[in-house]
Parts: sequence; structure tokens; C-alpha cells
Amino acid sequence: MKWLSILLGTLIVSSPLYAQNFDQKRAAMVQNQLRQRGIVQTNVLEAFQKVERHLFVPAAYTSMAYSDGPLPIGYGQTISQPYIVAYMTQLVNPKPNGKVLEIGTGSGYQAAILAEIVEKVYTIEIIPELGKSATDRLKELGYQNIEVITADGYHGLEEQAPFDAIVVTAAAEHIPPSLIQQLKEGGKMIIPVGSPFLVQTLMLVEKKAKKVTTKSLMPVRFVPFTRSQEK
Amino acid sequence: MSRRIYFSLGLLSASMIAFQLVLMQLISAVQWSYFAYMVISIALLGYGASGTLLAMIRSWIEKHGNKLLSPLMTISGLAMLGILWFSSVIFKRFDTYLIFVDTTHIVYLIIVCVSFFMPFFLGALAIGIIYINYVSRIGFLYFADLFGSGVGGIVLLALLWVCFPSQLPAVIAMLPLIAGMLIVPKKWFRILVFPSLILLLIPVYLVCVPIQLPVSEFKSISKTLNLPESEIYLERKSPYGHIQLVRSPVLRYAPGLSLSFEGEVPVVDMLFCNGNWVGPIIGLSQFDTTHFLDFTTHAMSYRISTPENVLILEGGTALFAGYALWKGSGNIVLVEENKEITDLLKNELASQSDSLLVHPYVRAVNLHARHFLLTDTNQYDLIILPEIESFGGTSGVNALKEQYVFTTDALADCWERLSGNGMIEVTAWLDYPARNPLRILASLVEMLEEKGVTSIESHLVALRSWGTISFLLKKTPFTQEEVFALHEFCSQMYFDAVLLPHTQVNDIEVFNHLEDTTFASSVRQIISAQREEFYAAYDFNIRPVRDMRPYFSQFLKLNRLHKLRDTLGNTNLPFFEVGYFIVLLTFIVVVVIAIVLIVLPLFFIRWQGHGKLFTLLYFSGIGIGFMFVEVVLIQQFILYFGHPVFAASAVLIALLLSSGIGSLRSSVLIKSYGQLWKLLSLIFLIVLLYAIILMPLLRITISLSFVWKILFSIVLIFPLAFFMGMPFPIGLRLLSEHNKVMIPWAWGINGCFSVISTVLAAIIAVEAGYFWVMLAACIAYSLAVAAVLIGRLVRV
Repeated sequence: MKWLSILLGTLIVSSPLYAQNFDQKRAAMVQNQLRQRGIVQTNVLEAFQKVERHLFVPAAYTSMAYSDGPLPIGYGQTISQPYIVAYMTQLVNPKPNGKVLEIGTGSGYQAAILAEIVEKVYTIEIIPELGKSATDRLKELGYQNIEVITADGYHGLEEQAPFDAIVVTAAAEHIPPSLIQQLKEGGKMIIPVGSPFLVQTLMLVEKKAKKVTTKSLMPVRFVPFTRSQEK
Repeated sequence: MSRRIYFSLGLLSASMIAFQLVLMQLISAVQWSYFAYMVISIALLGYGASGTLLAMIRSWIEKHGNKLLSPLMTISGLAMLGILWFSSVIFKRFDTYLIFVDTTHIVYLIIVCVSFFMPFFLGALAIGIIYINYVSRIGFLYFADLFGSGVGGIVLLALLWVCFPSQLPAVIAMLPLIAGMLIVPKKWFRILVFPSLILLLIPVYLVCVPIQLPVSEFKSISKTLNLPESEIYLERKSPYGHIQLVRSPVLRYAPGLSLSFEGEVPVVDMLFCNGNWVGPIIGLSQFDTTHFLDFTTHAMSYRISTPENVLILEGGTALFAGYALWKGSGNIVLVEENKEITDLLKNELASQSDSLLVHPYVRAVNLHARHFLLTDTNQYDLIILPEIESFGGTSGVNALKEQYVFTTDALADCWERLSGNGMIEVTAWLDYPARNPLRILASLVEMLEEKGVTSIESHLVALRSWGTISFLLKKTPFTQEEVFALHEFCSQMYFDAVLLPHTQVNDIEVFNHLEDTTFASSVRQIISAQREEFYAAYDFNIRPVRDMRPYFSQFLKLNRLHKLRDTLGNTNLPFFEVGYFIVLLTFIVVVVIAIVLIVLPLFFIRWQGHGKLFTLLYFSGIGIGFMFVEVVLIQQFILYFGHPVFAASAVLIALLLSSGIGSLRSSVLIKSYGQLWKLLSLIFLIVLLYAIILMPLLRITISLSFVWKILFSIVLIFPLAFFMGMPFPIGLRLLSEHNKVMIPWAWGINGCFSVISTVLAAIIAVEAGYFWVMLAACIAYSLAVAAVLIGRLVRV
């Protein structure tokens, strides 16, 4: 019975109609959730158009892969809302020849998006099971420029430092000093702050002239939050 | 049968209240506590539903109901075990956190609510049948019910010392099974005794091999245990909660650490209580010349002084006590109400924490922080308040948590406890839109004004990091040297001076920029004379809170919902203040179901006829009034005794026992209908009097010895509760004499309004304060007076 359901599932997923459906959903996601909300960088939009998000979510949530919210991926972790991933990517302003470090691989979706834009992505996942599944998935999808490392990301990746950008997907109540040190002069670090299910804000850390500054951005959820200017 | 029915009823009532309390703890520990509140509230409508069913089949119940009593009690006990097993299955698929993501989980939530409803419904059905069929003895029965409920609460408290929470449902489920056995008719006893004993073996087995509810993968303990090599290496059980200590080579803690810090943050063990994070266990020997807290905004007080006497309120795992000791303070008082935590630090964890709490310079006090401030007379050079909220904000999940330590009254008491150059330090995590930092600032400013301080800015400074803002309030004005030292501190640590003399407008955001550019101007407006206008204009309620309304984390302005909706969007709005929204949603759901339950029987007992309006008014009035008073008394006596768990239990038993005695004496004292309205008027007057004098009386006598306070509490609670215990049995007795058909309906109304009033009391307390909850109780009793006066209940 089990093999039958696997066969059936494989047939459905590989059918042209099924793929076309996801292509349409992905195009709609890029248009409605990203472009209309101010994601303007062409390379970012192209990456979202290309990376098949439904391949990064658990089978039970495949139909919701292009919905406007986060989804659970197991072990208390989530794949972020598409808009958050796009906003974070745009904020670090990735360049084609860039080298990016990601702390918290999760499903590997953010790494895949970055890998479509930059030369090399190093991504560290602390939970072995997630690290293994992300490695397999990204390998299967043919990403040659992503290196998944299963380890504690607290100390970053000194041997590959400095990085043009660091994307921290699992924020803690302090920013590890080693990550600041491994950020290139002029580099940017982005950190989501808050609950993925409730309200998240983003924090941008920049290193310029040996000085570190931060910028706390407005809360983001389904749409960018804008406070009235009257006050 | 006659005496056995009282024991049986008492046991059943004890099991109902104990099961309710343990479910609340169990579900809160494995899922999100606000949904636990919702699930239990809806489940308790089982009481109301039992009245509905009984009203529909009353004639049959009068004839055959007694035969059902024993089976109902037995099934109720088995249902307690059954739903626990069912929950262990469904909680593998259902997660309250995923309600926001996947609508399937809303269906699961409904299934969970319905399943938890069953044991309460079955138990209440048995109680209702007893009330209907033995109404002539209602005084004794109600006494047994109330006494059993009180004892149930106390027994549960005792059990929490010896059993893990997962074992308790099985222990509690034995009570209805025994209750059922007690009232088996003698002729059946010999036949049924053996099967009953077999049934008892089921909970006995489940105490030994308890059913474990799966913990949500999104609870902080689950996430921590997912980390490599994580393990729970120490567990403790007590009424303070289920404490677990987790060790992992990757756990570190340094709240709001400066981005200029280049050292090593030590690996620490983390303490959890009921699945929620409490704090790190950190020893002092890990630090040589630098402590990581030197690189946080918490360090500002130590940058300008070396305080000798330090008071730390809600000190948790003693992180800041250790820091104070490391900085050279010679007399440190740590106030932490959870005795289990301080006991662990003094004993099993002493070596890990470098014997911090047994150090001669450190004294741990196990009291409620607000109670400590009301009773302590010492002077301190530095008072450290607990951190407000947590990293990333909590989206209002603490909206219904009483936080007395941040009220203006508490801050004023802190001010009185300061030595000549003493200081108060409080740190808040930044949230957006800004709420917590603005409310604590407003509270500090208003307290200073109440104390006659006019130059706010010379007594109050505030520094902001990338994630936190710390306020430092000094009894004397800050000196030039201190101000310069703090400016230097800011530039070294990449902090920004939000409030600090000699700060230019351009220097407010040097290192940590905010996209929300209104923050700095909001701070300015709060310390200005235009504060009131700012409070009114701000979209969230950031006015300071007082002891009579201590909901520091509730910011939602109900009259501004439309504006917030325009700004945030319909879909987003609840996520900013989710805690209060869930309470409001619970209230709406409970009211809708209650209306259905109350109206439904009217189709069976016919719409026409007399007595319905009076039954509705009378039993809803006394139900609401009783619960409102109970909620306020528990809150006030928690502050009075300083031990929340024990105070709540003591008040509950005193209240229920006194009401039980009142119930016993009701038939003797109130003999005529004419006396009933006088009784209700008397209750009305006592509640009104207590609304005015209770808090001042408790404040005056708070320094008495424990024994005197117990006696004084009994003197205060007994007269009120004694009289409050009378209206319900008198009402049922009068109905039995003149309008028997209404008895089950009255039982259902009382059940429904008891649930509604619990949720409503929370909403009134949040919106207006405890004084208004007491006034609302007066209004509820006046409804009952009106029912008696106008309706002539005896003739209905």
C-alpha cells in the first residue's frame, strides 16, 4: 500500500499540470506578495521566480507553499513567509560576486534564493536532522555554490571570513561577537526579531569604518507595517 | 444513602475543581497558555449544559435520576482519563501555535474543547440531579459541594509536592470513581464492589505509568531540547511548577549584549518552569576581569557608582545578584517568589552557581516582590526591577498577567526605599510599535511628579542599545561627572542616549537607528507637560498602571480598534496584541454558547408562564456576584500574604468553607420570603463596603505577623462569604416549593454565568480595575434584589 501511495504521489508531482500549477502560484507570489510590496531588485525577484518553494516545505504543506505566511518544517522551526525572505535578501543587497554566510539553514530555501544571486553561500544548521535534509535537497536541486555545514553557528565560519553579508534566520537575545568580526568592512547582517507566527521585525547591522551600527525596521507580517505620520 | 450522598457530592466537587486546575497547568505546559484558558473556559460550560439537559428531561430525572448518579460519577472519572488519552493522541497533530498558519488546527481546537467538556458535563449532571432530587436538603448539599471544592483545591496543592503534573489527572479521577461507589444502593453493592475495584486499578496504573501529553515543538523547552547534546538533567515538582534544568554545549545567554563586545559568552545551563524559559545558571568563577553584563545597558548604574546595598526584585536564577556581587556590592537582597528555584540554587546547583545564594553577602527572600516592597523598611543604593518583556516582544501575550512590580504605587515604594544617592534601574526590551518602554517611562515620570520632583531630566536617564532600553532613576540629581561617564559608556558600547543631559538632538540615534522615527519624540512628549495629550493621541494605551489595575502589558485601546485596523490591516491587527484578543474571543464564544444553553430549555418548559425572568435574574445575579468577589479577594490576598500559590488556596478554602457554613445556616436564618431581599441587600452593602475599605485595610495590617494576618483574613472573609453562601440554596428551596420546573434551569443558569463572570471579571479588571469588579459584583447582587422585589420569587 505504501509503495502505491509513493508511486501515486510521484506521478502527481511529476505531471506537467501539477508543475504548471506551481509555476502559476509562484508567479502570483512574486507579483502579489513581493513586487506589490516594494521588492524591486530584479535579481531578487528573478531568484524567487526560479526557486521552487514547494520543494522546500514538508509534503503536508506543499499546497500552501506559496501562501502568504510561514510554514512549519519540524523541530520547532519554520520556513519564513516569502515576503520576509525577499525583504531580508533585498536588504543585504547581494552582489553576483558576493560571499554570504547564513546562520540557520532550516529548509534551505533562503540559501537557495541567495545562491541564485551570489557566487558562494555558506549555511550553518545546528539541528543535524534539518542540516541533513537541507543538504540532500540542495544537492538534488543541483546547487553547486551552497555549502551546508551542520554545526553550532555561534562562532560563524572563521576560515571563510570575511563575508559580504550574513543572514541570521534564528535570532537570539544577543548577536554573537564572532559574527560581527566576520562581517566584511561595508558588509551587512540581517536578523529577524520576534515570533514567526505573530509579529516580526528585522534588524540590519552594518559595519562601516570599524564602527557597527544597527537599524531596527518596522514590523513585517503579511504587509509592510507603516505608522501614520501624523504623530 | 442520606449521609453518603454528602460525601459523594463533596468528593465529586473536589475532583471537578482539582481536575480543572490541573488541566490548566498541563495544557499550559505543553501548549500556549492562552489557548489553555480558552479550552478550560469552554469546557466548564459543561455545568451550564448539564442544567440544559436536566431542564429538558426533568420529569424523567425526578423518577429515575437517582439510578443514574453512581454511573454518571463513574463515567465522569473515566472520562477524565479518556480525554487525557485522547489529548495525548490529538496533541501529536494539533498545535495551538499553528492556528495562525493552518485552518485545520482550528477544527482540532474545537475537537479539543468538546472533548474536555465531557467530564465536566457528566460530573455537573450528577450534581444537578442531586440538587433536583434532594432539594429539601439543599443547605447541606450546597455545603458539601462548596466544602468539597475548597478541599479539592487544597488537596491538589498538596499533591503537587509529591506528584508530577502528568500523574495528577489519574489521582483526581479516582475521586469520582469512589464517589460513585459510595452511593451504590446496598442491594447492588456486593455485585458491583469487585468491578468497581477493578475500575480503580485503571487510575492506579496510570499514576505509575502516566499518560504524557506531547509538548508543542514551538515551546521554548522543545526548541532547546532539539539542540545537539541537550538533556534535561534535573527535574523538580512543586506547586510552583514543573522545573527542568537543561544542559547543552551550545546554550549561551547575554541579553542585549553590546556589539562592541569581543570576548567569549560562557556556555550555561538553562532553567525552565512548565516548559517556559526562566533563566540561566551562571557561576562567578567564569569571569575574570570582564563580565558580559558590563557590555549591556544594565551596567549603567555600576558605571557611575559602586552600590553597597542592592535589592533585586523577581531575581529568578540570580543573574543580577551574581553581577552585583561581582561588582563589589556587600549586601544583596534577592526577592524571588518561586522558592523551588532559590532552593535549587542553594543546594543542588550551589556548585554551578558558585554558592551564590549561600554567600554571606547575599540574602534570598521568597516573597511576592510587591508584598516585599510593602513590608520592607530597609534602604538600598540600587534597586533592580525585572526585565520587561522579552527579546523580540511578546505581541501582548502577557496582557492578562498581573505585574504589580511595575505599577506607579510599586515604583513609589521603591523610591521610598532608596538611600540618599540611591537609584532604580529598569530595562525594557524594545518593541514596535513602542509600548513597554513608553509605559515604564510614563510610570517613572508620573511617580517622580507625585513625589514632588520637578526637574525630571536631572533625575532620570535612559540609554538604548540595539535591543534594549534601560532607565536609571536617581534620588538626587545626576552630577556632571556621572553624566559624562554615561556619555563615555555610550560611545564605548555603541549605545544611544535617549535621555541624558548634554545630548544634542542629532546624537539621539548615533549607533542604533529606528525606522520608526516617532520614538524619540514620544519620549520627549512623555516627560513634557503635554503628556496627557500624548496619551490620548497614541494608538496604544501607555498610561501608567496602579495596584488596583496592574495589567502593565495590556496596551490595546478598544475605542481605537478602528484606527489600528486602518493602520495595521484587519488580518494583522490581532497579532500585535494577541493575548487580549484571545480573551475577548473566549468571552464572545462563552457568551454565545451560554445563551444557546440558557435559551434551549425554554423550548421544552414553554415560553409562556411565570417565573422565567426572575429565575434568570436571580441565579445569574448571584452567580456573577459570587465569582466577581472571589476573583478580587484572591488578588488582594496574594499581595497581603506575599505567597501567590498559598494565598490563593487559603482564600479559596476560607471563602468556600464560610459560604458552606452560610448555606448550612440558610434555612434557619432566612425563613420568610420577606427576609430574602434584606439578605441580598446586606450582601450588596458588604460588597460595596469592601470595595472601598478592603485594600486600605490590608495595607494597614500588612506588617502584622503571619498568625495575626491569618486571623484578620478570616475575620474579613467570613462575614461576606457566610452571607454569600445563602442565596443559592434559598433560591433553589423556594423554587422547589413553588415552581419546581425551574430548578434545573436555575442550575444551568448558575453554571453558565459562573464561567461568563470569570472571563468578564478579567476584562473588567483590565479595562477599569478591581474596584470596578467589586462594583460590578454589587450591580449583580442588585439584579438579584430586583428579581426578588419585583418578581415575588415565592409565587413563581
